[in-house]
Amino acid sequence: MTWQTFLFIPIAMAAFGYSGYRFYILFKLMLSHRARSGRTDQLGSRFKTSIINVLGQKAVLRKKTPGIMHTTLLWAFLLITVGTVEQFATTIYPPANFEFIGREPYWFLMLVQDIATLGVLVAVAYFSYRRFIVRPEGLGRSLDGTLVLTFTGTLKIALFLMNGFLLLGQHPWYASAMPVSELVAAGLSVLHFSPEINASLATLFKWVHMLIVLVFACYIPHSKHRHILFSVANTFFKSLSHSKSMTPINFEDESVQQYGAAKINDLSWKDALDYYSCTECGRCQDMCPAYNTQKPLTPKMLIVDLRENLYRNRNQLMNGKLEEVSPVIDENITDDVIWSCTSCRACEIACPVFVEHTNKIYDIRRNLVMMESRFPGEVQTVFKNLETNGSPWAFSPEDRLKWTEGLSIKTMSEDPKIDILFWVGCAGAFDDRNRKVIRAFASLLKKAEIRFAILGSEERCTGDAARRIGNEYLFQTLAKANIETLNRYQVKKIVTACPHCFNTLKNEYKDFGGNYEVIHHSEFIAQLIQEGKIKPTKALDASVTFHDSCYLGRWNNIYDEPRSVLEALPSARMVEMSQNRAESMCCGAGGGRMWMEEKLGKRINVTRTEQALGTNAEIIASSCPFCITMIKDGLTTKEMSDKVRVMDLAELVDQSTP
Amino acid sequence: MAKVFVIAEHRAGRLKTSTFELVGAAAGAGNETHVVLLGDGIGELAKELGPYGAKTVHLIQDPALKLYSAEAYSKALSALLKPAGPDIILASHTPTGRDFMPRLAARLGVGLASDCTQIGFNGTELKLRRPVYAGKATAEVEFMGPGPRMATIRPNTVGVPAPDPAKTAEIVNAAANLGTLKSKVLEVVKSSSSRPDVTEVPIVISGGRGLKSAENFKKLEDLADVLGAAVGASRAAVDAGFRPHRDQVGQTGKIVSPTLYIACGISGAIQHLAGMRTSKVIVAINTDAEAPIFQVADYGVVGDLFQVIPNLQEELKKIKEP
Repeated sequence: MTWQTFLFIPIAMAAFGYSGYRFYILFKLMLSHRARSGRTDQLGSRFKTSIINVLGQKAVLRKKTPGIMHTTLLWAFLLITVGTVEQFATTIYPPANFEFIGREPYWFLMLVQDIATLGVLVAVAYFSYRRFIVRPEGLGRSLDGTLVLTFTGTLKIALFLMNGFLLLGQHPWYASAMPVSELVAAGLSVLHFSPEINASLATLFKWVHMLIVLVFACYIPHSKHRHILFSVANTFFKSLSHSKSMTPINFEDESVQQYGAAKINDLSWKDALDYYSCTECGRCQDMCPAYNTQKPLTPKMLIVDLRENLYRNRNQLMNGKLEEVSPVIDENITDDVIWSCTSCRACEIACPVFVEHTNKIYDIRRNLVMMESRFPGEVQTVFKNLETNGSPWAFSPEDRLKWTEGLSIKTMSEDPKIDILFWVGCAGAFDDRNRKVIRAFASLLKKAEIRFAILGSEERCTGDAARRIGNEYLFQTLAKANIETLNRYQVKKIVTACPHCFNTLKNEYKDFGGNYEVIHHSEFIAQLIQEGKIKPTKALDASVTFHDSCYLGRWNNIYDEPRSVLEALPSARMVEMSQNRAESMCCGAGGGRMWMEEKLGKRINVTRTEQALGTNAEIIASSCPFCITMIKDGLTTKEMSDKVRVMDLAELVDQSTP
Repeated sequence: MAKVFVIAEHRAGRLKTSTFELVGAAAGAGNETHVVLLGDGIGELAKELGPYGAKTVHLIQDPALKLYSAEAYSKALSALLKPAGPDIILASHTPTGRDFMPRLAARLGVGLASDCTQIGFNGTELKLRRPVYAGKATAEVEFMGPGPRMATIRPNTVGVPAPDPAKTAEIVNAAANLGTLKSKVLEVVKSSSSRPDVTEVPIVISGGRGLKSAENFKKLEDLADVLGAAVGASRAAVDAGFRPHRDQVGQTGKIVSPTLYIACGISGAIQHLAGMRTSKVIVAINTDAEAPIFQVADYGVVGDLFQVIPNLQEELKKIKEP
């Protein structure tokens, strides 16, 4: 026991006590949330995923240089923490050093720590350069970020100074394990201090290091740096599946007083964990089609603002005064923010700590729509049409058969003995442009001698748009009607040319008793080509770029099949847009935006069309009726309709197949 | 015979034709017809109602009623109507009627049949017809429970009777009884356009991207003047900045169903068709014979609208001014 023991123990207890109390508040706030989030299944996969993404930094490394630097920082810090623990232990009780692990292991431990300390400084230098010189737009500048870098940098400088003076003062037996510190010592030796002064300075910088650690510990719960703990938990509780379905509301439950989220605590604990995990790196914002076309939504600020809302309501939530909690829509999160989202999920896929932005938007939309009747006026028409016509456009169900004229296509009621049901979708059935796609696909099915039928006038909208806009009740009405029809015909296998129908049928009808094998037509055509049932022979002789649909790509992880279809076309020259596959930019029609006016900022479809035109491709290939509509409009706006065509995969393959 | 109260509507110092329709229908069926006229400095208008069959006109004048406000209207009306004990209360299904009638119904604690297209009087009861499912079916509506019965009637559905100048109505001044109002209308900002709204007239002429510029819409306006039509636009034309959004016809704009719809330089994307395909007669003018607009058109002209429209205008002038 020394004076250091008596000085350190109370300071450390106060610091850790305070930090612990702050974390306890964050934890309590998290548990004050109302909605549930079932994320405790498949523990094995969760541990595996956590190891890959936390220790392995898989998602962080998607951005190369910052990813490598962050990985360096993480591993270096983990190693240095061993030394910090030793430092704390020996301060309290000097003989409690870690030399008991053996001379060689200890020597090696000192070596890796010495190198790790340098590694941290290199990373800090890089991140400072990035933050203050490069200044990526998504990162922004914040006092918090500057403070975290300062803390991290000064910690390591203090360590090197401590080690430098230590080496000069007493030259311990493991000095040869500290090459970097030796260099520092060589530099410090020019000061010509006496061994006693050197020893005192070593002790001084040890205290500087320890005190910064303790101050940092107190600061972390207030800072985005809390991600060092919370993002680990967030990775563990992340959505395990690539494909995503929205959580159903049980309308039979009469005890439910409110649908969706009106206040912050109407969301779930997982949402709060998302805010705590966010490091404000801005990767989500960089990818957001709304943000990049000057809409008020930025997914990063949505998370930050939700967190601010949570903190603002801290006392009310901690004291159970729930009626005094302020609404989730506030001066930062406006109605326009909520309605700007195209549900493309680029933000979620980009996030290195698996924040789920869109769930929050859907929950808030559900509340606005079902409790407040507050939504863009033009959506009223869509709801009304879905209710009365079973289609977002006011067409009669009988008109769903019009596209089949002259094609002798059977409906399920005429011939239920089929290999596969062809789900046409509203755009295919009613929209003149997309009818051509549907006809081409039907023609391909016939060429491949597939026995198929359609539901015809019995088909209804799958309810995708209604669900994404927040009208869960309307969605379930449509879903149940469709499932009733599909189950009546004992449908097992469905193919559809619409990624929105595809996602809903495949991932969301399961929750309502609709279990089918659902295939998107791009997968189906790829399979038919592979099996030799379709042989595209006629040369296309054109350059083609492929625009990924969000609901096929990010929502269902299908990127290769459509490309393999295009590659099978003779003399098709593929060119990729710079934003492709998981980084593809939305056309602007998802999340119900197809049915809303785009009054703010630049139009998303025009921006995406410009990206496609930038490849100089003669054909923009797509596999989604909404994308085709949006890009077609984009080409009209850019006055390029007569030079560049937007075409569905089915059309391209059909015209190439005799 | 029922005691019927018709709530009059007026704008710019003139009573609306739809008010005469309702007075005529109520009086024509032999009812004791009262009219409530609200405003400020509109005493002269009260005299016009007698010839259509009004027995009594209740005139409520107050500065707070000078500009229409739903709150002031419903307050003043409930104060007058509660003691008056009407059997039936009618108003036109106009933006104004749609605004204050539900409030009035709530204040009186009774039901309201809105957007009715046929009205039948049976003693003190009402029998109404209202279109449902976008006009695909008609519902017949009657009331249950205690009255009064309230309904809003779609304009131009019952017809205006010929006025009888010999008839006069008793004009009674009534107090406004507004109490404290929570809201106040400061001013009414008129839209800059003097043209009729696309949803209000039986003929609509719309232009698309094919018009090429905002200036070229002048050609449609000239044609519209000859026909007394409104000028609409497709989303593409609105996006290109040729027309303001309020003129947009389509799924996300206005949904119209005029007697005659003339589409000029509009290809007929589903977004547009969804807003006009229930029009009674559709005429399409487009250079592209493959354009989907021709699939819904009753008459199609494949040609350059810059040639077709002036010709059409000349011919129409000849018919109108022989």
